[in-house]
Amino acid sequence: MPEWVQPVVEYMAREGLKETARIAVISVVGSALVGVVLGTLLTIRFWPLRSMIRLYIEVWRGLPIIVTIFLIFFALPSVGIRFSPYLAAAIGLVLWGSAQVAEATRGAVESIPREQHQAASALGFGWVGRHAFVILPQALRRLLPPMVSLLAGVIQNTTLASIIGASEVLATGTQSIERLQLSSGNSHSFAIYAGIMAAFFAISFPLTRLAVYLERRLV
Amino acid sequence: MSVLAAFDWSFIWEQRSELAHGLVKTLEVSAIGIAGAFAIGVALGAARAHRIPVVSQLAAVYVEVIRNTPILVQIFLLFYGLPQLTPYLRFEPFTTAWLAVMIWGGAFNTENYRAGFGAVPYRYREASLALGFTPLRTFFSVTLPIGSRIALPSSINTYISVLKNTALMTAIGFPELTNVARSIAAVTFRDAEMIVVIAIVYLAVVWSLSIVIRFVERRLALPEEA
Repeated sequence: MPEWVQPVVEYMAREGLKETARIAVISVVGSALVGVVLGTLLTIRFWPLRSMIRLYIEVWRGLPIIVTIFLIFFALPSVGIRFSPYLAAAIGLVLWGSAQVAEATRGAVESIPREQHQAASALGFGWVGRHAFVILPQALRRLLPPMVSLLAGVIQNTTLASIIGASEVLATGTQSIERLQLSSGNSHSFAIYAGIMAAFFAISFPLTRLAVYLERRLV
Repeated sequence: MSVLAAFDWSFIWEQRSELAHGLVKTLEVSAIGIAGAFAIGVALGAARAHRIPVVSQLAAVYVEVIRNTPILVQIFLLFYGLPQLTPYLRFEPFTTAWLAVMIWGGAFNTENYRAGFGAVPYRYREASLALGFTPLRTFFSVTLPIGSRIALPSSINTYISVLKNTALMTAIGFPELTNVARSIAAVTFRDAEMIVVIAIVYLAVVWSLSIVIRFVERRLALPEEA
């Protein structure tokens, strides 16, 4: 292996991977939590609440993710709210991801037969208990495949954080390219970007296969 | 809402022609990308559905590679990576922009059309062949018109995503809508105004597209089989 490779890989693994993982974890956990709550609330008959959640979903699904991230990073400071690049990117991904999860949750919750609701009510569960302990655990089967797909999508979209200056994997790759260009005159940009693609493929491909498998098994 | 109240709307109005230029570039790149994605989707989707040897396997690899890697890295590989490999593959930002979204959309569309063509009942093709149509004629007169209508909803979602993905071309300095807004903000420090305005424009475009599409979908939907 050429000698320029090792320091570049080490730098990207040490600096970039940590930041990518941090963004991915916040985004996935946040999307799942917010999405499941909003999706469950979407099955309530109270229309003002429902239309507000609808608006939330349509807005964050309709905007390009990078524009959402720009809104958080560049527009919110004008009202005094400031986030670091990685956090701004993570919040943008949570808005997008939770909209996807909410839509999937609504479908999953509505697929649970009415008798389950009635039985839970008869046992004395209130709305919250009924959903938390009876309906959602059953809806989870249906929710699992889209959740795994979301995980793959979120991990890929963490790269958008590089545009606002978070030093995740793609950004550290670009920095390495610039450094190599200055020090040796050869940027190795093709090899580095192809390597980053391969790394993402190695993570994402098993996940998308898993989603297909779960879809066949569970639904 | 306090954000909007503090806005200098006259400033935004002054930038209208520049923003309109950006929007035109966004739509231009999207249109080329969508047309290309349609062609790729139909051709490779047919190859996948009819299991044409070699082409089908290559198409499967193409689809998996594109779907499982970040589009931003794909764009960088096209724009910064290829010229380093060979100077003949140096593309203008405009070319990179439509090429990237075309390749991306084509992969997703291959899946859409593979499923669409695959869902055409076999007896239709059998009937066509029995009537003496050649396999090619059968594809164009039977499988394509029925299969595309089955694939329509999912392929339209792909086209909307293609349009949204053109916003990423701001990262290679192509002056589409997002990039224009960032450039104006860079010299005037009106970051909030510019981003909110283009967000509204994107939502207007995406939402009106969705409405038109839902209408077209209903017109083109296959009648329920008796």
